[in-house]
Amino acid sequence: MILPIGPIHPGLKEPLRLKLKTQGEKVISAQIDYGYVHRGIERVMQGKTWQKAIYLSERVCGICSYIHTQTFAETFEKIAGEQVPLRAQYLRVLTNELDRIQSHLLANSTYFKALEHETLFMYMLALREPVMDAIELLTGNRVNMGWNVVGGVRMDAQESHLKSIMEIITDLEKEYPRYVEMFDQGPLLGLRSKDVGKMSREDAIKARAVGPIGRASGIKHDWREDHPTYHDHLDFETIWRKDGDNYARTMNRFDEITVSIDLIKQVIENIPPGDVRKKVDILAGYADWRNEAPRGEVSYMIETNGNLIQNISIRTPSIMNIDACAKYMLQDVATVADAVATYASVDPCIACTERVVIVDESGKKKDVEGIHNLELS
Amino acid sequence: MVRSLKDIIRSSSIHVCLINTGGCNGCDIEVVALLSPRYDLEQYGIYVHNNPREADVILVTGAVTEQWVEKLRRIYTKAPEPKIVVALGNCPLTGDVFNQEGGSVYAPVSDFIPVAAEVSGCPPRPSEILAAILSVAPGAIAARGREKK
Repeated sequence: MILPIGPIHPGLKEPLRLKLKTQGEKVISAQIDYGYVHRGIERVMQGKTWQKAIYLSERVCGICSYIHTQTFAETFEKIAGEQVPLRAQYLRVLTNELDRIQSHLLANSTYFKALEHETLFMYMLALREPVMDAIELLTGNRVNMGWNVVGGVRMDAQESHLKSIMEIITDLEKEYPRYVEMFDQGPLLGLRSKDVGKMSREDAIKARAVGPIGRASGIKHDWREDHPTYHDHLDFETIWRKDGDNYARTMNRFDEITVSIDLIKQVIENIPPGDVRKKVDILAGYADWRNEAPRGEVSYMIETNGNLIQNISIRTPSIMNIDACAKYMLQDVATVADAVATYASVDPCIACTERVVIVDESGKKKDVEGIHNLELS
Repeated sequence: MVRSLKDIIRSSSIHVCLINTGGCNGCDIEVVALLSPRYDLEQYGIYVHNNPREADVILVTGAVTEQWVEKLRRIYTKAPEPKIVVALGNCPLTGDVFNQEGGSVYAPVSDFIPVAAEVSGCPPRPSEILAAILSVAPGAIAARGREKK
Protein backbone atom coordinates (compact mmCIF):
# COMPACT_ATOMS: atom_id res chain seq x y z
CA MET A 1 0.00 0.00 0.00
CA ILE A 2 1.00 3.62 -0.32
CA LEU A 3 1.54 5.31 3.02
CA PRO A 4 1.42 9.09 2.73
CA ILE A 5 3.39 11.11 5.29
CA GLY A 6 2.98 14.85 5.45
CA PRO A 7 2.74 17.68 4.57
CA ILE A 8 1.87 18.20 8.25
CA HIS A 9 3.26 15.35 10.27
CA PRO A 10 4.90 14.94 13.66
CA GLY A 11 8.03 13.57 12.02
CA LEU A 12 8.53 16.47 9.65
CA LYS A 13 9.43 20.05 10.44
CA GLU A 14 8.53 21.34 7.03
CA PRO A 15 5.78 20.69 4.52
CA LEU A 16 6.56 17.87 2.13
CA ARG A 17 4.72 14.74 1.16
CA LEU A 18 6.54 11.43 1.41
CA LYS A 19 4.72 8.58 -0.30
CA LEU A 20 6.08 5.32 1.02
CA LYS A 21 5.23 2.13 -0.83
CA THR A 22 4.99 -0.43 1.92
CA GLN A 23 4.54 -4.15 2.23
CA GLY A 24 3.55 -4.80 5.82
CA GLU A 25 6.03 -2.81 7.87
CA LYS A 26 8.68 -2.89 5.14
CA VAL A 27 9.23 0.15 2.94
CA ILE A 28 9.88 -0.88 -0.66
CA SER A 29 10.27 2.48 -2.34
CA ALA A 30 9.47 6.13 -1.81
CA GLN A 31 8.30 9.08 -3.81
CA ILE A 32 8.46 12.73 -2.85
CA ASP A 33 5.96 15.43 -3.64
CA TYR A 34 7.33 18.96 -3.63
CA GLY A 35 5.80 22.32 -4.21
CA TYR A 36 4.44 23.47 -0.88
CA VAL A 37 6.90 26.29 -0.26
CA HIS A 38 7.46 27.79 -3.69
CA ARG A 39 7.41 31.57 -3.29
CA GLY A 40 9.00 32.73 -6.52
CA ILE A 41 12.07 34.38 -5.01
CA GLU A 42 14.11 34.37 -8.23
CA ARG A 43 11.32 36.12 -10.08
CA VAL A 44 10.97 38.74 -7.35
CA MET A 45 14.72 39.42 -7.51
CA GLN A 46 14.68 40.19 -11.23
CA GLY A 47 14.83 43.88 -12.04
CA LYS A 48 16.05 44.90 -8.61
CA THR A 49 19.32 46.38 -7.41
CA TRP A 50 21.51 44.18 -5.21
CA GLN A 51 20.53 46.16 -2.13
CA LYS A 52 16.93 45.13 -2.68
CA ALA A 53 17.75 41.53 -3.57
CA ILE A 54 20.31 40.49 -0.96
CA TYR A 55 17.77 40.21 1.82
CA LEU A 56 15.61 38.04 -0.44
CA SER A 57 18.54 35.69 -0.99
CA GLU A 58 18.84 35.41 2.78
CA ARG A 59 15.26 34.22 2.97
CA VAL A 60 15.73 31.37 0.53
CA CYS A 61 16.47 29.27 3.57
CA GLY A 62 16.32 30.24 7.21
CA ILE A 63 18.68 27.58 8.55
CA CYS A 64 21.63 28.24 6.26
CA SER A 65 20.65 31.87 5.64
CA TYR A 66 24.19 33.18 6.01
CA ILE A 67 25.86 31.37 3.13
CA HIS A 68 23.24 32.58 0.65
CA THR A 69 24.11 36.22 1.19
CA GLN A 70 27.82 35.46 1.06
CA THR A 71 27.48 33.63 -2.24
CA PHE A 72 25.26 36.41 -3.60
CA ALA A 73 27.81 39.08 -2.63
CA GLU A 74 30.76 37.07 -3.93
CA THR A 75 29.08 36.62 -7.30
CA PHE A 76 28.82 40.39 -7.67
CA GLU A 77 32.43 40.76 -6.52
CA LYS A 78 33.44 38.22 -9.17
CA ILE A 79 31.65 40.22 -11.88
CA ALA A 80 33.54 43.34 -10.73
CA GLY A 81 36.79 41.36 -10.41
CA GLU A 82 37.47 42.60 -6.90
CA GLN A 83 38.35 40.99 -3.62
CA VAL A 84 37.05 42.24 -0.31
CA PRO A 85 39.48 43.33 2.44
CA LEU A 86 41.17 40.49 4.32
CA ARG A 87 39.49 41.31 7.62
CA ALA A 88 36.08 41.06 5.95
CA GLN A 89 37.06 37.71 4.45
CA TYR A 90 38.05 36.43 7.89
CA LEU A 91 34.81 37.70 9.43
CA ARG A 92 32.85 35.94 6.68
CA VAL A 93 34.61 32.68 7.48
CA LEU A 94 33.90 33.19 11.19
CA THR A 95 30.16 33.69 10.65
CA ASN A 96 29.98 30.92 8.08
CA GLU A 97 31.51 28.41 10.47
CA LEU A 98 29.32 29.50 13.39
CA ASP A 99 26.33 29.06 11.10
CA ARG A 100 27.57 25.63 10.06
CA ILE A 101 27.90 24.54 13.69
CA GLN A 102 24.36 25.56 14.57
CA SER A 103 22.96 24.02 11.40
CA HIS A 104 24.72 20.69 11.97
CA LEU A 105 23.66 20.61 15.62
CA LEU A 106 20.08 21.26 14.57
CA ALA A 107 20.26 18.57 11.89
CA ASN A 108 21.61 16.01 14.32
CA SER A 109 19.04 16.97 16.94
CA THR A 110 16.28 16.40 14.35
CA TYR A 111 17.75 13.01 13.59
CA PHE A 112 17.77 12.05 17.26
CA LYS A 113 14.20 13.26 17.57
CA ALA A 114 13.27 11.01 14.65
CA LEU A 115 14.91 8.13 16.52
CA GLU A 116 12.88 9.17 19.61
CA HIS A 117 16.07 9.68 21.59
CA GLU A 118 14.80 12.68 23.53
CA THR A 119 17.90 13.02 25.73
CA LEU A 120 20.37 13.58 22.92
CA PHE A 121 17.84 15.79 21.15
CA MET A 122 17.78 18.08 24.19
CA TYR A 123 21.57 17.97 24.59
CA MET A 124 22.06 19.01 20.98
CA LEU A 125 19.66 21.94 21.33
CA ALA A 126 21.33 22.93 24.61
CA LEU A 127 24.70 22.98 22.82
CA ARG A 128 23.21 25.01 19.99
CA GLU A 129 21.91 27.91 22.07
CA PRO A 130 25.34 29.35 23.03
CA VAL A 131 26.33 29.21 19.36
CA MET A 132 23.19 31.18 18.50
CA ASP A 133 24.26 33.68 21.16
CA ALA A 134 27.65 33.99 19.46
CA ILE A 135 25.96 34.65 16.12
CA GLU A 136 23.71 37.24 17.73
CA LEU A 137 26.68 38.90 19.41
CA LEU A 138 28.56 39.18 16.15
CA THR A 139 25.78 40.09 13.72
CA GLY A 140 22.90 41.34 15.85
CA ASN A 141 20.41 38.69 14.78
CA ARG A 142 19.82 35.06 15.53
CA VAL A 143 18.55 33.69 12.23
CA ASN A 144 18.41 36.12 9.31
CA MET A 145 21.56 38.07 9.95
CA GLY A 146 21.76 40.76 7.28
CA TRP A 147 25.52 40.64 7.71
CA ASN A 148 26.92 40.54 4.17
CA VAL A 149 27.02 43.34 1.66
CA VAL A 150 28.65 43.44 -1.76
CA GLY A 151 32.18 44.54 -0.85
CA GLY A 152 32.50 43.17 2.64
CA VAL A 153 30.48 42.86 5.80
CA ARG A 154 28.15 45.38 7.36
CA MET A 155 29.98 46.11 10.60
CA ASP A 156 33.25 45.39 12.31
CA ALA A 157 33.58 42.90 15.15
CA GLN A 158 34.88 44.30 18.40
CA GLU A 159 37.72 42.68 20.31
CA SER A 160 35.41 41.93 23.22
CA HIS A 161 33.00 40.15 20.86
CA LEU A 162 35.74 37.98 19.46
CA LYS A 163 36.86 37.17 23.01
CA SER A 164 33.35 36.13 24.04
CA ILE A 165 32.97 34.00 20.91
CA MET A 166 36.28 32.33 21.71
CA GLU A 167 35.00 31.50 25.21
CA ILE A 168 31.75 30.07 23.84
CA ILE A 169 33.63 27.97 21.31
CA THR A 170 36.12 26.70 23.90
CA ASP A 171 33.25 25.67 26.16
CA LEU A 172 31.56 23.91 23.27
CA GLU A 173 34.76 22.08 22.41
CA LYS A 174 35.09 20.86 25.99
CA GLU A 175 31.52 19.59 26.41
CA TYR A 176 30.93 18.31 22.94
CA PRO A 177 32.97 15.03 22.78
CA ARG A 178 30.81 13.59 25.58
CA TYR A 179 27.70 13.70 23.39
CA VAL A 180 29.52 12.39 20.35
CA GLU A 181 30.60 9.46 22.50
CA MET A 182 27.00 8.95 23.66
CA PHE A 183 25.99 8.53 20.04
CA ASP A 184 29.08 6.63 18.99
CA GLN A 185 29.04 4.12 21.85
CA GLY A 186 25.29 3.90 22.45
CA PRO A 187 24.30 0.33 21.57
CA LEU A 188 20.67 1.05 20.71
CA LEU A 189 21.49 4.16 18.73
CA GLY A 190 24.04 2.10 16.82
CA LEU A 191 21.43 -0.57 16.05
CA ARG A 192 19.01 2.03 14.74
CA SER A 193 21.66 3.88 12.71
CA LYS A 194 24.27 1.49 11.34
CA ASP A 195 23.46 -0.15 8.01
CA VAL A 196 20.17 1.75 7.76
CA GLY A 197 19.47 3.87 4.70
CA LYS A 198 22.65 2.89 2.88
CA MET A 199 23.74 4.69 -0.25
CA SER A 200 26.80 3.51 -2.16
CA ARG A 201 29.32 5.85 -3.77
CA GLU A 202 28.06 5.06 -7.27
CA ASP A 203 24.49 5.82 -6.29
CA ALA A 204 25.58 9.04 -4.60
CA ILE A 205 27.30 10.16 -7.79
CA LYS A 206 24.25 9.20 -9.87
CA ALA A 207 21.96 11.14 -7.55
CA ARG A 208 24.45 14.05 -7.41
CA ALA A 209 24.47 13.98 -3.62
CA VAL A 210 26.45 16.85 -2.14
CA GLY A 211 27.67 18.06 1.21
CA PRO A 212 27.82 15.83 4.28
CA ILE A 213 25.46 13.34 2.60
CA GLY A 214 27.74 12.88 -0.39
CA ARG A 215 30.84 12.90 1.80
CA ALA A 216 29.38 10.20 4.06
CA SER A 217 29.02 8.03 0.96
CA GLY A 218 32.64 8.46 -0.07
CA ILE A 219 32.63 11.54 -2.29
CA LYS A 220 35.56 13.52 -0.96
CA HIS A 221 34.52 16.93 -2.07
CA ASP A 222 34.16 20.22 -0.24
CA TRP A 223 33.88 23.57 -1.98
CA ARG A 224 35.70 25.22 0.90
CA GLU A 225 38.90 23.66 -0.46
CA ASP A 226 38.60 25.91 -3.51
CA HIS A 227 37.45 29.04 -1.75
CA PRO A 228 40.24 31.66 -1.83
CA THR A 229 40.08 32.57 1.86
CA TYR A 230 40.14 28.97 3.08
CA HIS A 231 42.65 27.97 0.46
CA ASP A 232 45.18 30.76 1.09
CA HIS A 233 44.92 31.53 4.77
CA LEU A 234 43.39 28.67 6.71
CA ASP A 235 44.13 25.07 7.44
CA PHE A 236 41.45 22.46 7.34
CA GLU A 237 40.81 18.96 6.22
CA THR A 238 37.79 17.51 4.48
CA ILE A 239 35.91 14.94 6.53
CA TRP A 240 34.57 11.98 4.65
CA ARG A 241 33.45 8.44 5.25
CA LYS A 242 32.75 5.34 3.19
CA ASP A 243 29.77 3.66 4.83
CA GLY A 244 26.96 5.86 3.53
CA ASP A 245 24.46 4.90 6.22
CA ASN A 246 22.61 7.03 8.78
CA TYR A 247 25.42 6.56 11.26
CA ALA A 248 28.03 7.83 8.80
CA ARG A 249 25.98 10.88 7.90
CA THR A 250 25.42 11.83 11.52
CA MET A 251 29.05 11.23 12.48
CA ASN A 252 30.20 13.17 9.45
CA ARG A 253 28.28 16.18 10.68
CA PHE A 254 29.67 15.72 14.18
CA ASP A 255 33.22 15.64 12.84
CA GLU A 256 32.64 18.67 10.65
CA ILE A 257 31.65 20.60 13.76
CA THR A 258 35.12 19.81 15.15
CA VAL A 259 36.68 21.17 11.98
CA SER A 260 34.53 24.30 12.21
CA ILE A 261 35.57 24.86 15.82
CA ASP A 262 39.19 24.61 14.75
CA LEU A 263 38.62 27.06 11.88
CA ILE A 264 36.94 29.58 14.18
CA LYS A 265 39.93 29.41 16.53
CA GLN A 266 42.32 30.01 13.65
CA VAL A 267 40.27 32.97 12.47
CA ILE A 268 40.07 34.65 15.88
CA GLU A 269 43.78 34.13 16.53
CA ASN A 270 44.94 35.42 13.15
CA ILE A 271 42.37 38.03 12.18
CA PRO A 272 44.18 41.03 10.68
CA PRO A 273 43.23 44.65 11.40
CA GLY A 274 41.85 46.86 8.64
CA ASP A 275 38.70 47.78 6.81
CA VAL A 276 35.70 45.50 6.63
CA ARG A 277 34.08 47.00 3.57
CA LYS A 278 35.12 48.57 0.32
CA LYS A 279 33.31 50.05 -2.61
CA VAL A 280 32.66 47.56 -5.38
CA ASP A 281 31.29 48.84 -8.67
CA ILE A 282 28.41 46.89 -10.12
CA LEU A 283 29.44 46.09 -13.67
CA ALA A 284 27.39 44.60 -16.45
CA GLY A 285 28.10 40.92 -16.91
CA TYR A 286 27.48 37.38 -15.87
CA ALA A 287 29.12 35.25 -13.23
CA ASP A 288 28.50 32.12 -11.25
CA TRP A 289 29.91 31.27 -7.87
CA ARG A 290 29.71 28.26 -5.62
CA ASN A 291 30.11 27.87 -1.91
CA GLU A 292 29.85 25.11 0.59
CA ALA A 293 26.67 25.56 2.60
CA PRO A 294 26.10 23.40 5.67
CA ARG A 295 24.10 21.03 3.45
CA GLY A 296 26.42 21.07 0.44
CA GLU A 297 27.07 23.09 -2.64
CA VAL A 298 25.05 26.24 -3.21
CA SER A 299 25.54 28.08 -6.48
CA TYR A 300 24.39 31.45 -7.74
CA MET A 301 24.25 32.46 -11.37
CA ILE A 302 23.67 36.18 -11.81
CA GLU A 303 23.42 38.39 -14.89
CA THR A 304 23.38 42.15 -14.38
CA ASN A 305 23.18 45.14 -16.66
CA GLY A 306 25.42 47.30 -14.49
CA ASN A 307 22.71 48.26 -12.07
CA LEU A 308 19.81 45.84 -11.97
CA ILE A 309 19.72 42.08 -11.77
CA GLN A 310 18.47 40.78 -15.10
CA ASN A 311 18.57 37.09 -14.44
CA ILE A 312 19.32 35.04 -11.40
CA SER A 313 19.33 31.34 -10.77
CA ILE A 314 19.93 29.75 -7.41
CA ARG A 315 20.82 26.11 -6.96
CA THR A 316 20.59 24.78 -3.46
CA PRO A 317 21.97 21.51 -2.11
CA SER A 318 18.85 20.05 -0.53
CA ILE A 319 17.12 19.19 -3.79
CA MET A 320 19.87 16.74 -4.76
CA ASN A 321 20.09 15.27 -1.29
CA ILE A 322 16.35 14.75 -0.91
CA ASP A 323 16.19 13.13 -4.33
CA ALA A 324 19.10 10.87 -3.38
CA CYS A 325 17.20 9.94 -0.24
CA ALA A 326 14.02 9.05 -2.10
CA LYS A 327 15.72 7.16 -4.91
CA TYR A 328 18.49 5.25 -3.22
CA MET A 329 18.22 5.36 0.56
CA LEU A 330 14.53 4.58 0.98
CA GLN A 331 14.76 1.27 -0.87
CA ASP A 332 13.96 -1.85 1.13
CA VAL A 333 14.09 -0.20 4.52
CA ALA A 334 13.07 -2.57 7.29
CA THR A 335 10.45 -0.38 9.02
CA VAL A 336 8.54 2.84 8.48
CA ALA A 337 10.21 4.29 11.59
CA ASP A 338 13.60 3.69 9.98
CA ALA A 339 12.40 5.35 6.80
CA VAL A 340 11.45 8.52 8.71
CA ALA A 341 14.80 8.44 10.53
CA THR A 342 16.63 8.03 7.22
CA TYR A 343 14.76 10.98 5.81
CA ALA A 344 15.72 13.06 8.86
CA SER A 345 19.37 12.02 8.55
CA VAL A 346 19.55 13.66 5.12
CA ASP A 347 18.99 17.02 6.80
CA PRO A 348 16.25 18.04 4.39
CA CYS A 349 15.49 21.70 4.03
CA ILE A 350 12.34 22.19 2.01
CA ALA A 351 12.46 25.98 1.96
CA CYS A 352 15.67 25.72 -0.09
CA THR A 353 14.43 23.23 -2.60
CA GLU A 354 11.40 24.99 -3.96
CA ARG A 355 12.89 26.72 -6.96
CA VAL A 356 10.38 25.78 -9.62
CA VAL A 357 6.79 24.75 -9.83
CA ILE A 358 5.17 23.35 -12.95
CA VAL A 359 1.53 24.17 -13.52
CA ASP A 360 -0.56 23.04 -16.46
CA GLU A 361 -3.14 25.23 -18.15
CA SER A 362 -5.97 24.35 -15.81
CA GLY A 363 -3.86 25.49 -12.87
CA LYS A 364 -3.17 22.02 -11.56
CA LYS A 365 0.26 21.19 -10.26
CA LYS A 366 2.23 18.80 -12.40
CA ASP A 367 4.83 16.27 -11.44
CA VAL A 368 8.40 17.53 -11.46
CA GLU A 369 9.48 14.18 -12.88
CA GLY A 370 8.20 15.16 -16.30
CA ILE A 371 10.28 18.32 -16.41
CA HIS A 372 12.65 17.00 -19.09
CA ASN A 373 9.80 16.25 -21.49
CA LEU A 374 8.27 19.65 -21.06
CA GLU A 375 8.04 21.83 -24.14
CA LEU A 376 8.58 25.46 -23.34
CA SER A 377 6.60 27.83 -25.50
CA MET B 1 -19.46 17.69 33.04
CA VAL B 2 -16.83 15.90 31.01
CA ARG B 3 -16.72 18.84 28.66
CA SER B 4 -16.07 21.42 31.38
CA LEU B 5 -13.45 19.17 32.94
CA LYS B 6 -11.77 18.95 29.55
CA ASP B 7 -11.80 22.73 29.27
CA ILE B 8 -10.07 23.10 32.63
CA ILE B 9 -7.39 20.63 31.60
CA ARG B 10 -6.89 22.11 28.17
CA SER B 11 -6.33 25.58 29.57
CA SER B 12 -3.20 24.35 31.34
CA SER B 13 -2.13 21.70 28.84
CA ILE B 14 -1.85 23.20 25.40
CA HIS B 15 -1.17 21.13 22.31
CA VAL B 16 0.44 23.03 19.48
CA CYS B 17 0.48 22.25 15.77
CA LEU B 18 3.00 24.10 13.63
CA ILE B 19 2.06 24.73 10.00
CA ASN B 20 4.63 26.14 7.61
CA THR B 21 2.65 27.59 4.75
CA GLY B 22 5.67 28.61 2.72
CA GLY B 23 8.21 30.60 4.67
CA CYS B 24 11.97 30.53 4.86
CA ASN B 25 12.06 28.13 7.79
CA GLY B 26 13.46 30.76 10.14
CA CYS B 27 10.37 30.91 12.34
CA ASP B 28 10.17 27.12 12.42
CA ILE B 29 13.68 26.75 13.77
CA GLU B 30 12.90 29.37 16.40
CA VAL B 31 9.99 27.17 17.47
CA VAL B 32 12.42 24.24 17.61
CA ALA B 33 14.74 26.42 19.70
CA LEU B 34 11.80 26.88 22.09
CA LEU B 35 11.97 23.16 22.85
CA SER B 36 15.56 23.51 24.01
CA PRO B 37 16.39 23.38 27.71
CA ARG B 38 17.00 27.11 27.78
CA TYR B 39 13.41 28.10 26.94
CA ASP B 40 11.79 24.77 27.81
CA LEU B 41 8.33 25.11 26.34
CA GLU B 42 7.02 22.06 28.14
CA GLN B 43 7.36 23.51 31.62
CA TYR B 44 4.52 25.88 30.65
CA GLY B 45 2.33 22.94 29.71
CA ILE B 46 2.80 23.46 25.98
CA TYR B 47 3.49 20.45 23.82
CA VAL B 48 4.47 20.72 20.15
CA HIS B 49 3.52 17.64 18.15
CA ASN B 50 2.35 18.85 14.74
CA ASN B 51 -0.92 16.95 14.67
CA PRO B 52 -3.84 19.23 13.73
CA ARG B 53 -6.44 16.71 14.92
CA GLU B 54 -5.53 17.20 18.56
CA ALA B 55 -4.24 20.75 18.48
CA ASP B 56 -5.51 23.57 20.67
CA VAL B 57 -3.19 26.17 19.19
CA ILE B 58 -2.26 26.32 15.52
CA LEU B 59 0.96 28.21 14.89
CA VAL B 60 1.03 29.45 11.31
CA THR B 61 4.29 30.56 9.72
CA GLY B 62 4.95 31.41 6.10
CA ALA B 63 3.32 33.52 3.45
CA VAL B 64 0.63 31.07 2.17
CA THR B 65 1.81 29.72 -1.17
CA GLU B 66 -0.55 28.51 -3.86
CA GLN B 67 -0.54 24.93 -2.59
CA TRP B 68 -1.68 26.03 0.83
CA VAL B 69 -4.71 28.14 -0.01
CA GLU B 70 -7.18 25.26 0.19
CA LYS B 71 -5.17 23.02 2.48
CA LEU B 72 -4.91 25.66 5.19
CA ARG B 73 -8.70 25.94 5.46
CA ARG B 74 -9.01 22.18 5.51
CA ILE B 75 -6.45 21.74 8.24
CA TYR B 76 -8.14 24.44 10.27
CA THR B 77 -11.46 22.59 10.17
CA LYS B 78 -9.74 19.41 11.30
CA ALA B 79 -8.58 20.90 14.59
CA PRO B 80 -11.15 20.40 17.37
CA GLU B 81 -12.94 23.35 18.99
CA PRO B 82 -11.98 25.47 20.85
CA LYS B 83 -8.92 26.40 18.81
CA ILE B 84 -6.65 29.41 18.62
CA VAL B 85 -4.53 30.51 15.66
CA VAL B 86 -1.30 32.37 16.29
CA ALA B 87 0.37 33.90 13.23
CA LEU B 88 4.12 33.81 13.62
CA GLY B 89 6.50 36.20 11.93
CA ASN B 90 6.03 38.83 9.27
CA CYS B 91 5.12 36.40 6.48
CA PRO B 92 1.63 35.40 7.65
CA LEU B 93 0.89 39.02 8.57
CA THR B 94 1.88 40.78 5.36
CA GLY B 95 3.75 38.37 3.11
CA ASP B 96 6.98 40.12 4.10
CA VAL B 97 9.61 40.26 1.34
CA PHE B 98 7.87 37.72 -0.86
CA ASN B 99 4.78 39.87 -1.30
CA GLN B 100 6.16 41.84 -4.23
CA GLU B 101 5.64 41.76 -7.94
CA GLY B 102 6.46 38.28 -9.17
CA GLY B 103 6.08 36.49 -5.87
CA SER B 104 3.44 33.80 -5.70
CA VAL B 105 2.14 34.24 -2.17
CA TYR B 106 -1.36 34.87 -0.87
CA ALA B 107 -0.72 36.51 2.49
CA PRO B 108 -2.15 37.49 4.93
CA VAL B 109 -3.26 34.32 6.66
CA SER B 110 -6.24 36.11 8.22
CA ASP B 111 -7.92 36.02 4.78
CA PHE B 112 -8.27 32.27 5.14
CA ILE B 113 -8.63 31.50 8.83
CA PRO B 114 -9.39 33.66 11.89
CA VAL B 115 -6.21 34.72 13.65
CA ALA B 116 -6.22 35.37 17.40
CA ALA B 117 -2.69 36.69 17.91
CA GLU B 118 0.05 38.03 15.71
CA VAL B 119 3.76 38.06 16.44
CA SER B 120 5.79 40.23 14.14
CA GLY B 121 9.50 39.84 13.52
CA CYS B 122 11.62 38.11 10.95
CA PRO B 123 11.87 35.79 12.78
CA PRO B 124 10.47 36.68 16.21
CA ARG B 125 12.63 35.73 19.16
CA PRO B 126 11.71 32.48 20.95
CA SER B 127 10.74 34.35 24.11
CA GLU B 128 8.29 36.47 22.10
CA ILE B 129 6.68 33.38 20.57
CA LEU B 130 6.33 31.86 24.03
CA ALA B 131 4.84 35.05 25.44
CA ALA B 132 2.33 35.24 22.58
CA ILE B 133 1.13 31.66 23.05
CA LEU B 134 0.84 32.11 26.81
CA SER B 135 -0.89 35.47 26.57
CA VAL B 136 -3.65 34.22 24.33
CA ALA B 137 -4.06 30.48 24.65
CA PRO B 138 -5.16 29.43 28.17
CA GLY B 139 -7.66 32.22 28.71
CA ALA B 140 -9.02 32.12 25.19
CA ILE B 141 -9.44 28.36 25.20
CA ALA B 142 -11.30 28.50 28.52
CA ALA B 143 -13.52 31.35 27.25
CA ARG B 144 -14.36 29.57 24.01
CA GLY B 145 -15.15 26.44 25.99
CA ARG B 146 -17.64 28.38 28.10
CA GLU B 147 -19.20 29.91 24.98
CA LYS B 148 -19.84 26.46 23.58
CA LYS B 149 -21.92 25.49 26.59
